[in-house]
Amino acid sequence: MQAADAGAGGGVEGADDGADGPGSPGGAGEATAAALGRAPPVTRPRHAPRPGGDAAATAGRTGGPDAPSALCVPFPSAVEAEIACGSLAPDAEPHGGAVEKQLTVRGSVLAVRWRATNPRLLRISIISFLDQLSLVMRTMQRFGPPATR
Amino acid sequence: MPAVLGLEGSANKVGVGVVRDGAVLANPRRTYVTPPGTGFLPGDTARHHRAVILDLLQEALTEAGLTSQEIDCVAYTKGPGMGAPLVSVAVVARTVAQLWNKPLLGVNHCIGHIEMGRLITGATSPTVLYVSGGNTQVIAYSERRYRIFGETIDIAVGNCLDRFARVLKISNDPSPGYNIEQMAKRGKKLVELPYTVKGMDVSFSGILSFIEDAAQRMLATGECTPEDLCFSLQETVFAMLVEITERAMAHCGSQEALIVGGVGCNLRLQEMMETMCQERGARLFATDERFCIDNGAMIAQAGWEMFRAGHRTPLSDSGITQRYRTDEVEVTWRD
Repeated sequence: MQAADAGAGGGVEGADDGADGPGSPGGAGEATAAALGRAPPVTRPRHAPRPGGDAAATAGRTGGPDAPSALCVPFPSAVEAEIACGSLAPDAEPHGGAVEKQLTVRGSVLAVRWRATNPRLLRISIISFLDQLSLVMRTMQRFGPPATR
Repeated sequence: MPAVLGLEGSANKVGVGVVRDGAVLANPRRTYVTPPGTGFLPGDTARHHRAVILDLLQEALTEAGLTSQEIDCVAYTKGPGMGAPLVSVAVVARTVAQLWNKPLLGVNHCIGHIEMGRLITGATSPTVLYVSGGNTQVIAYSERRYRIFGETIDIAVGNCLDRFARVLKISNDPSPGYNIEQMAKRGKKLVELPYTVKGMDVSFSGILSFIEDAAQRMLATGECTPEDLCFSLQETVFAMLVEITERAMAHCGSQEALIVGGVGCNLRLQEMMETMCQERGARLFATDERFCIDNGAMIAQAGWEMFRAGHRTPLSDSGITQRYRTDEVEVTWRD
């Protein structure tokens, strides 16, 4: 297959529609945030590199370049968390094996874990994930609730 | 009577279509147009698609007059195409398939074009020329596969045209190819360009380098006009496409040719192909811009064929893929 002059797949420029910083957990808060069109509250990734810090300083703080980053996304129900996981898990990460991402569902929470050696690729992966997560949530709001099985 | 929803967004067009038993019930689409002199990048394109796709989905259902429960299957483009845009569309398809408890079908984009071409034109077993910004292939059906008889060995013909448009800062609205076509109509002088057919295949990257260079020189000296260059480029690349299509038709003993893909909208290409077909006593089929250009209904149509033949895509297999050969799919819905 001849590709168009596409850039590397999956890369995302900018973080303009990424999730907001730490917000209040809880169903009502989420629903309101969602209704306003903002991304729902997510906990800040614990080990995400800070802007302006160099890789070594970040590595020191987080205990090594290979340290995992994690995110926990609450959903109104387990069914919706499973649906989000089903939508977001199948696509492979671009850039070979440089970034590993793992999604699991615990109750009504979608847990995401990243392992990466390259801080820039990790950042791109997290931002891209948040963009797609936001889309999944908007889709569920607009075309849900889940039909009875 | 299955009704299939199709979602497409592998390049800068994003569309959602609904097809039921050979009738296109809805086919809304939006195009991400960048300023003259620029092309579209994956991240920005994906952002565009994410912003409009849910509105498109709603429009499609409303236009089709169907509720989500009346949809029997959700089809989407699995590949080939650009990564981030493909993912943006796929996640919506997976989400609604799960929300509505409907089977999911990952469709090959090229096969979407072919199946829509067959449906709209009624061509029975044509030699297909698939030409777009991302793909250039000559395809014929044989024994459960859409086999690639000839293709570009480097860039697609539409990519060559689009990148040349950038050099001349031609507008990308509605598409660079359309604007090149209009300018070419006013061209008078044929500038000689490299002609690069390689057996059954074609090559365009050398022509692009040559004409980018020639444009700088010749426009500066006034030796020719931008319209002359547009005209010359079209005449050259389209003649190459006609040659490799004819070669495939001769090999297959085919009496039908079908043009699909965005470049297939070009009336000059259709005219040149028609001349070749008439000389061979063959019939040419082409569709209009609703269906040549990437659209959701073509994915829905291919999905409809696949669904009836029993294909299903489990979630775990539903990942998108930027490289997806047309002959990788087993075409079980034809004999």
